[in-house]
Amino acid sequence: MAQSLVELTSLLAASHAGDLSAQIFAYLAKHGRLTLPSLAAHADVPARRARTALSSLVETGLVQYTAAEGTAPAFYTASWAAAYNIARHSNVVRLVTERHGIQAGGVVKNILSLGYARVGELAEAYGLEPGSKRDSGVESGNTVVGIKGTVNGATHHKVSGSQHVNSEAELHVILVTLLQSGILVKIGRRTFVPVSDLQDQVEEAVISDQFPDRKVTGPKKQAAFSIAVRQLKRKWQVEDAFSETHDLNSKGTIKRPGQHFTAPNKRVKLNGAVTNGNHATEDDSSVKLSSELTVRVDFTRCTIGLRSLRLQNTAKRLLGPITSAVYGALLHSVEAKIRILHTEVNELQDEDDDPDDFLPVAHIREIAEYLDPDIELAEALGSEEDKGKHVQNGPSTAKRKGQVNGHQEGEDHPGEELGRIANGFSSYRDSAKRFEHIEAHLRLLEEHSKTFCKYTRPGKTPKGWRVPFAALSKSLLDEELDATVAARYGKVPLRLARLLRDRGKLEEKAVAAIAMMRIKDVRSVMGEMQHQGLVDVQEVPKEGQRQPSKNLYLWYFDTQRVQALVLQQTYKAMARTLQRVQVEKEDYRAIIEKAERSDIRGQESEKLEQSERVQLRKWREIEERLLTQVARLDDVVSVLRDFSGTDITMGN
Amino acid sequence: MATLAKLSDDGDALYVKLLQVAQSSPDGLRKVFFQADIQALASESAKTLQDLMPLVQELTNHCLLRLSKLDRALCWSARPRDAAKAITLLNPDEKMIYSYVEDAHQKGIWLRELKKRTGVNPNVVQKTMPKLEGAHLVKSIKNIRAPAQKTYMLYHLVPSDDVTGGSFFDAGDLDESLIEELSNLIIFHVRMQSWADTKPKRVKREASPPVLIDDHNDSNGNAKKRKRGATADIEDAPRKYRPTGYDDHAVEIITQLSFPAYTRTYPSAEAIHAFITTTDAIRASKAAQLTVPEIQGVIDVLVWDDKLEKVGDGYRTVRGVSFKPPGYPDDEGEEEGDARFGNGLTQAPCGKCPVFDLCGEGGPVNAGSCVYWAKWLEGGG
Repeated sequence: MAQSLVELTSLLAASHAGDLSAQIFAYLAKHGRLTLPSLAAHADVPARRARTALSSLVETGLVQYTAAEGTAPAFYTASWAAAYNIARHSNVVRLVTERHGIQAGGVVKNILSLGYARVGELAEAYGLEPGSKRDSGVESGNTVVGIKGTVNGATHHKVSGSQHVNSEAELHVILVTLLQSGILVKIGRRTFVPVSDLQDQVEEAVISDQFPDRKVTGPKKQAAFSIAVRQLKRKWQVEDAFSETHDLNSKGTIKRPGQHFTAPNKRVKLNGAVTNGNHATEDDSSVKLSSELTVRVDFTRCTIGLRSLRLQNTAKRLLGPITSAVYGALLHSVEAKIRILHTEVNELQDEDDDPDDFLPVAHIREIAEYLDPDIELAEALGSEEDKGKHVQNGPSTAKRKGQVNGHQEGEDHPGEELGRIANGFSSYRDSAKRFEHIEAHLRLLEEHSKTFCKYTRPGKTPKGWRVPFAALSKSLLDEELDATVAARYGKVPLRLARLLRDRGKLEEKAVAAIAMMRIKDVRSVMGEMQHQGLVDVQEVPKEGQRQPSKNLYLWYFDTQRVQALVLQQTYKAMARTLQRVQVEKEDYRAIIEKAERSDIRGQESEKLEQSERVQLRKWREIEERLLTQVARLDDVVSVLRDFSGTDITMGN
Repeated sequence: MATLAKLSDDGDALYVKLLQVAQSSPDGLRKVFFQADIQALASESAKTLQDLMPLVQELTNHCLLRLSKLDRALCWSARPRDAAKAITLLNPDEKMIYSYVEDAHQKGIWLRELKKRTGVNPNVVQKTMPKLEGAHLVKSIKNIRAPAQKTYMLYHLVPSDDVTGGSFFDAGDLDESLIEELSNLIIFHVRMQSWADTKPKRVKREASPPVLIDDHNDSNGNAKKRKRGATADIEDAPRKYRPTGYDDHAVEIITQLSFPAYTRTYPSAEAIHAFITTTDAIRASKAAQLTVPEIQGVIDVLVWDDKLEKVGDGYRTVRGVSFKPPGYPDDEGEEEGDARFGNGLTQAPCGKCPVFDLCGEGGPVNAGSCVYWAKWLEGGG
């Protein structure tokens, strides 16, 4: 394991679980899996304290354990992924807040800091007594204040009222929503077992069940074996997954699954009815989770969400905000259907099918449901379409007619603009028109060279729009590397790096000719880039003697290598940023300690001097800046490591 | 050296004819004539071989015809009259050197190669070349493949693209300003056909009747202010630290609307080539020289530079790209990189740290002693 990752994860563990735990974690990280006695002996920590630390580490998921059967001792393993994910907490909270509202964000934040949580405990922690308000009829008033701001994620964050959850019912609604969207998952017995051990267990179970002779050699048997393993894994996953029938006390009311619970995370579609409370209000009395249900945050799902946000941003840069909003809706609706994760898609590829066929499909109607109805779709399209059939968006299209052949007319048509009719779902005609516009935007996305989405190929079912995630993840990765190269070294190295990536291995002269640069300049830039590890050179001898002067030197850009390099640098930069927080903290130690005294806490404005308040504010700003930077570095990591689904540094 | 007898009239007539045929053929003076060809061209009086032989011999003696071998058959090609005159005055060594240069034709021949092949004393070759140059028989050119080597070719020939490197080379040197202007012109041309431009929506938000705005800068300025005010989300708000010039950029983004997909044919390399060669922005002689592959090359570079993107078979400008008016200073900070780029890594001090590899806990440089962090936290970036 790379040193920088050990350093980073130890720092993260320290910030999350305290010094002793961090010490234990760091030891496990360096030395691999250990039993409790050997850990205590080697790390020079009393066994009793080691046990306490381990139990808290296991709770937060930073350490996983495998207990063999019988009296064999349990082995403890540091979980890289879990430790690293601490750095992603703020991004996850951001994602949840954007999608499901500020309160959901708060709930997720709490669960993250706890590691996992029982529903009952969560309710207690929020100070909500079960059933206190549920039947009193007060909750509608409460929830109006509460969830109102959630609906329009990105655009309306002026949340009125507190971000606090006010009733237990509301908490349950939030939790169910999050469970439905997959951000929260149920915890089962198998959660704490390392993935590699889980794999062993699955394989063992399959062998003892179906292969009595314990032999899985030969192509036929191997194929059967891997299918069986996959099936069992899937079965275990399903067993552990949240299900509406088992985990929900529905109090006798019969519901179609998904009918209610998906409602809060969709956008409100009523005509201007945003302020009239949320749908959940009507339902919340019947939604109740078992208080024994234990949940945690699923980072894989969150990563998928973050990837969607990222893709949406790219689309925004390349095609504009409105098209990207449509894309966001597509991504959102497709995301809800992603059940197969990347690895299994890859497994399917060895069959003759097009891997794209396994991607979830979104129908235009679903996309429309996720789309903010206030967005004027037609305005973002240049003219050439809708001959005579436009009503509401007349002015903008008319205005642009003259520019088709490249000449700005500079003419505005103010009068028509006033006659605009509010867009909405008020009539069939409007919605049909809206679908048409959505489709126009989707086609734009499809047309782009990055192929943001694809319509089903003719002759295939089901019809609808797909997002080719694998190719897009690759292009996000390339873009991220490009961004790094451009920002660090400038435009010319960027040009050369992209050239080499597109054209493969090339000799200096060819590079110069294609890049339209002088050989001399190319040589110096290439030398610098080679020094930084961005490009490399391959020596090809022309003759037996291998004389250096007669050899060919081919330059190339190895994406995978650069990816790993930049990833390690990012880990290191994150570690430094976290260390810097401590360094800065040292400077403000006095005031921080004073502010944390129990008699001052909460009343800083009265009990602190003016200068102290300034100091405190300064410190908070610094901390905020540094932690935001960590979150931004995490963005880089997620692109480089996680979006493709083919992890290159973390084994599990 | 014996002086030659004056050219006979018949010989002269044959020569003029051969020269005419050669010049009107696509090969130019390279055109070779076999015996049968010459026979066909020769006038009535010299149809027979016996009559023709002395004529050809005479022309060869006068250096007006060059003898060579192609597929074991003898063949001849014509030389310009003044060159022939000069050649007759050369000594045998010089003649041999000349013939080698002549054989190399448009490709030219290295001086070293010349010395090796002719077998003439290198010093003599060295002395001969200036003499031939003085007589306007050969000229020295710069070969782009081997700029350090001296290369010679016949005086009246134009070096091939292989030798010069194509249209983008000026006397063996890369013509960067031409490439730059050409890129700019292409961006301008493609930009005009890529996006529907709209004025920022001033009508909607202002009660006062709209004014016709011709001043581009003015509308930009207004749009900028309004846009800032309208951002409700932090994601949409402009970032704090940006190199100058970014703001205008942001406005450009807002005002570019995409055309409906699959309804447009964006200009292809051929179309761009046609535009470039027909505008008078580029010198006519240069424009005539430009080829489609060369334009394609420029386009490729622009794609790598994130200026153009491929749509179907054509190209359009990347959103937010605008062309630079001629003579306008390049204000995109080269050192800062493009503002749209950069990420969490490169914006942190560590991402650009020159001593990043040395940095480590307890090392000579560490998070505590780092000077870049202090600067960054103060807002220096």
